[in-house]
Amino acid sequence: MIITISLILIGIAVFLSFLRLLIGPTVSDRLLAADTLTTITAASIVLVAFVLGRLIYMDVAIVYAVIGFVGVVTVARYLEGGI
Amino acid sequence: MINYFFLLLVIVMLGSAIAIIFIRNLLAAVIVVTVVSLVASILFIFIASPDVAITEATIGAALTTVIFVLALSRTKKKT
Repeated sequence: MIITISLILIGIAVFLSFLRLLIGPTVSDRLLAADTLTTITAASIVLVAFVLGRLIYMDVAIVYAVIGFVGVVTVARYLEGGI
Repeated sequence: MINYFFLLLVIVMLGSAIAIIFIRNLLAAVIVVTVVSLVASILFIFIASPDVAITEATIGAALTTVIFVLALSRTKKKT
């Protein structure tokens, strides 16, 4: 029951972020939507690992949480004019 | 239930891949490419290959974005 509710809520979050990614007027909106999708992805990987019953899939979530911010930081630095 | 969740992710991946064609701003297209590889990483978990998913997360989400942004920065005319 609680797994179903979690899947539905994560699905709604993915859909809303995807809408902002599509219709975002500026680059900053799309960048924030991509960053939100990275966080939601790490959470959903943990949930999928719990549902499928294989704890080895948690390693992917660890890698995502460690390395997911690099692209966003790079694009933000480019928008700032640093690179 | 989890099959519908993966169906939603496939729809997000397909919509992002189609949206790349119509986005005229190159930097926004690079960000949408990141989202495509993001969803592909979850779909690699669905076909039970977590090592490929780790490689996709490292290469697709981090390294490709950095290389594309550096290429845009090098080739863009300074204003």
